[in-house]
Amino acid sequence: MATKNLSEPVFYNNPGIRAVIYQILLVLGLGYFFYLIISNTITNMEARGIKSGFEFLGSTAGFDILMSLIPYDATHTYGKTFVVGLLNTILVSIIGIIFATIVGFIIGVAHFSHNWLIRKLAVIYIEIFRNIPLLLQIFFWYFAVLSTLPGARQSLSLGEAVFLNVRGLYLPNLVREDGSAVVIAAFIIGILASFIVKHWARKRQEKTGQQFPVFYTNIVLIIGLPVVTFFAMGMPFGLEYPVLRGFNYSGGITVIPELMALALSLTIYTGAFIGEAVRAGVQSVPHGQTEAARSIGMKEKQIMKLIIVPQAMRVIAPILNSEYQSLVKNSTLATAIGYPDLFTVFVGTTLNQTGQAIEIVFMTMAVYFVFNMIISVVMNLFNKKVALVSK
Amino acid sequence: MTTGIVAWMKNNLFSSIPNTIATVFILAILANFIPGLLDWLFFSANWSGETQDDCVKDGACWVFIQAWSQQFFYGSYPTEEIWRINLCLGLLLSVVIGSNFVSKTIRTKIFVPLFLLLPFVSILILNGSWIGLEPVSTDYWGGFSLNIFLAAASIIVAFPLGFIWALGRRSTMPLAKSISVLLIEFFRGVPVLALFFMGSVMLPLFFTEGTNVDKLLRVWIVLTLFMAGYMAEVYRGGFNAIPQGQYEAADSLGLSYWQKTLLIILPQVLKVSMPNILATFVMLFKNTSFLMIIGIFEILSTTQAALSNSYWLGGHANEGYLFVAMLFWTVCFGMSVISSSIERKLNTEHRK
Amino acid sequence: MKLKFVFSVLFFSSVAFNSSVQAGTLDDVKTKGHVNCGVSTGLAGFSQKDEKGNWSGLDVDVCRGVAAAVLGDASKVKYKPLTAKERFTALQSGEIDLLSRNTTWTHTRDTSLGLNFAGTIYYDGTGFMVRKNLGVKSAKELDGAAACIQAGTSTELAIADYFRQNNMKFTVVTFDTSDQTRQGLESGRCDFLTSDQSQLYALRIGLKDPSSAIVLPEVISKEPLGPVVRQGDDEWFNIVKWVVNASIEGEYQGVTSKNADDLRKNGNPGQKRLLGSEGDLGKKLGLSADWAYNVITQVGNYAESFEKNVGMDSPLKISRGLNAQWTDGGILYSPAMR
Repeated sequence: MATKNLSEPVFYNNPGIRAVIYQILLVLGLGYFFYLIISNTITNMEARGIKSGFEFLGSTAGFDILMSLIPYDATHTYGKTFVVGLLNTILVSIIGIIFATIVGFIIGVAHFSHNWLIRKLAVIYIEIFRNIPLLLQIFFWYFAVLSTLPGARQSLSLGEAVFLNVRGLYLPNLVREDGSAVVIAAFIIGILASFIVKHWARKRQEKTGQQFPVFYTNIVLIIGLPVVTFFAMGMPFGLEYPVLRGFNYSGGITVIPELMALALSLTIYTGAFIGEAVRAGVQSVPHGQTEAARSIGMKEKQIMKLIIVPQAMRVIAPILNSEYQSLVKNSTLATAIGYPDLFTVFVGTTLNQTGQAIEIVFMTMAVYFVFNMIISVVMNLFNKKVALVSK
Repeated sequence: MTTGIVAWMKNNLFSSIPNTIATVFILAILANFIPGLLDWLFFSANWSGETQDDCVKDGACWVFIQAWSQQFFYGSYPTEEIWRINLCLGLLLSVVIGSNFVSKTIRTKIFVPLFLLLPFVSILILNGSWIGLEPVSTDYWGGFSLNIFLAAASIIVAFPLGFIWALGRRSTMPLAKSISVLLIEFFRGVPVLALFFMGSVMLPLFFTEGTNVDKLLRVWIVLTLFMAGYMAEVYRGGFNAIPQGQYEAADSLGLSYWQKTLLIILPQVLKVSMPNILATFVMLFKNTSFLMIIGIFEILSTTQAALSNSYWLGGHANEGYLFVAMLFWTVCFGMSVISSSIERKLNTEHRK
Repeated sequence: MKLKFVFSVLFFSSVAFNSSVQAGTLDDVKTKGHVNCGVSTGLAGFSQKDEKGNWSGLDVDVCRGVAAAVLGDASKVKYKPLTAKERFTALQSGEIDLLSRNTTWTHTRDTSLGLNFAGTIYYDGTGFMVRKNLGVKSAKELDGAAACIQAGTSTELAIADYFRQNNMKFTVVTFDTSDQTRQGLESGRCDFLTSDQSQLYALRIGLKDPSSAIVLPEVISKEPLGPVVRQGDDEWFNIVKWVVNASIEGEYQGVTSKNADDLRKNGNPGQKRLLGSEGDLGKKLGLSADWAYNVITQVGNYAESFEKNVGMDSPLKISRGLNAQWTDGGILYSPAMR
């Protein structure tokens, strides 16, 4: 721009044209790069007799999988193994995210406890679990802790309904009978109604300044309503208890120890990071805010809920986003203890049996990529919401 | 207010009934748990010996760690050449520490280029065949030093690479921008384990037929790209933290784009992002333990190899994993202490 | 800039770490002065590292034998530890000259991967190990039990077949390494452990109380383990094949590392032919006359190698069984050395 007054710039000094040239070069370079990679890959695959394409998804897998949320056995296809793995990944991710958030918030708040021991334990917890590779923690929980549980015949039990042994946690299963749909419908109605009550109560408070006991009303709606219908419909749910048969318990719901170990270590590891974020978030709220709130007569509980948490969330929410993303990615370490997630089943066994590395690795990468995107979108919405609350 | 230990305990441990219950509960758990642990770790542990048979007592068999310590730290690197690993570790340490004690000009003129050259110098020294030392192929590299080297070499190359990606993301050129965004999001969005698999089973297919690229090099490429994605994101935060006035001031001085970026913006970005860079490095460092799954002899897979040696089949997994955990913890905790002290320093500087 | 980096890495890699594959592996090995041998990252008795980083084991001895035959020095081997997934790629791409990583010889692998199996060095089979306190005597009684298996192995398919075929149900618990399967059995996570029989013995020693587990008599699959080379290089294929045969023939002829020197001069014609003091077996392979002599003196014959690594002189204490000479009730049988 300095040259403007001196003379007409040479065309290649024009920033606009230069940008176009740069980009053309970039695209050409990248295009050549990918051409090179793809042509090399094709030559290499031909030379080594590696098949390509997705036909393998239709052929019989021939191996069993430890845990599946949908019916599966060795006669199903490789495509089915993908779905089985995918569902197991989603399951452990959701469990991990929920519990890591709970643990993280507890640990973060424990930093501000009046009890010295609790404060110190929170610090120790964070510093230990944050700084040890997750893989080692998974080994620890799986091989050092869960494997010391008693065998099937000496199970720890809770009222002959819940059993815990080295094979897993056995829970009674809910069996639906006639009329159960009504109870489920009541539950959903309860949840919807509680949202409406909340909305209405806020409106009323804005208009009249009167407060409404939203919390207790909603508890009645969400829990009370289904319970009442449950009895009204003549208790349409039965329980199927796990029973010791042969080598092991059967019936009921089984939570395999691999899932427990993985969910536990993901929870504890990610919980340490979230705990640190919560601590930083709460600390970021100036102390004056609390004092000001006290001076206008707010109760401690209200201060926490209305003053500190909304402001702390501005710091916490973006970190939660990235922690959730890394939790999902870290769940791939399932492969080290054999929890049948997408990685273990699909990149592990299926890849080994079919040898089609490119298709399988790309499919898997795409899945995790999409997961990340979904978390990102959801958390950005959440982020916007907390950002608005603070204004 | 009274002082002294009783008053302290009253205030901090037994201030209310729930607090007292919590204290008693925690102390009871600790009392239940710690003596047995200490006994296993120290009092009944086996400290000296050569082979598995020397572990006669009930406690931990530290003989295992002792016997395999060279493998754990240096891998199968020839014993008489180990000084080369130590030299490289020393170089790394002295460049990192040294750069904190020299003036700004020396730092930018000498230490930064030194830092960027370090991985390549280390490869020359460790491999040895190009500088007339005994050649040691990468199959013999291993142990904890390999974890350190891989993490350091990846982050050093990712420094400039991530910066370019971050610049690309800020660029006004739509194509450059979208390519950068794609690269960054790809390497951030995909599990590092999948990337390792890509490095171990897919990358060989990408090279011209007949070429075979060293496995460690492939892993290094993958780790660097992975790291660059994260670094680009760290830089982005750094860019946002720099006041707009800095750009405008640089423009008004008539600096070119690269002068502005490298001389004015980059130093400030680096400074404000330092705590995040360290945090990213700690993450990368911990992730090097995942290399076990693709069979690189870093410390965790060395441990597993040791556990499967037919003369050490006595089940020393606990000792081995505990030792590895301790090593990682020491390094990572050290880094996080440094990172938080830098953060504190930055905060106070900002407040001035 | 970005591209420059990528290309410089590619360039750097192709210049610095490149060793191109030539048609003649033998010439290539002779030029390099060492054999690149793919082994397992750690498998008791077959390929294992010791505290000093030295490799040993039955699989490793094949590598050493080939180096001794080709280069005259068994120590001229560069070991490339490989995971199960990488092994064939590494061979196909020329990263290794020879794969000796307890690989089962199967029809699919031999015909569709561009590979050739150069013989069998260990006849293995999938077997079962159960905890004694279950009171199980036969694999047929394992209906409904849980199995510990190492992931990604042919065992995983074999056991699924076996249980389906016998109309039994089972739960499969997969682990990443074989040591972890042992821990699984020990902790009671599973009722039995399935693996190649050779590994069962190693795993049994690893138990805190080895007598608490028994190996069941059933062997449900054939797992002949042997070295693998690239297809299309017959010269190299022959060398590896005959190195394996020479060590088996060595035992059959009674030639050991101790008496080889003596027999070379004073042995019977068969022994002399093997050791290169008569005939020209070496020349036909493109090797020196003392190729087999080097193998036997530096690595030992099959029996020596077996006993030292997995047999009675090792902690594994595996008996010869199928892997005895055909004259001793086994199925080891080397083609005629003439």
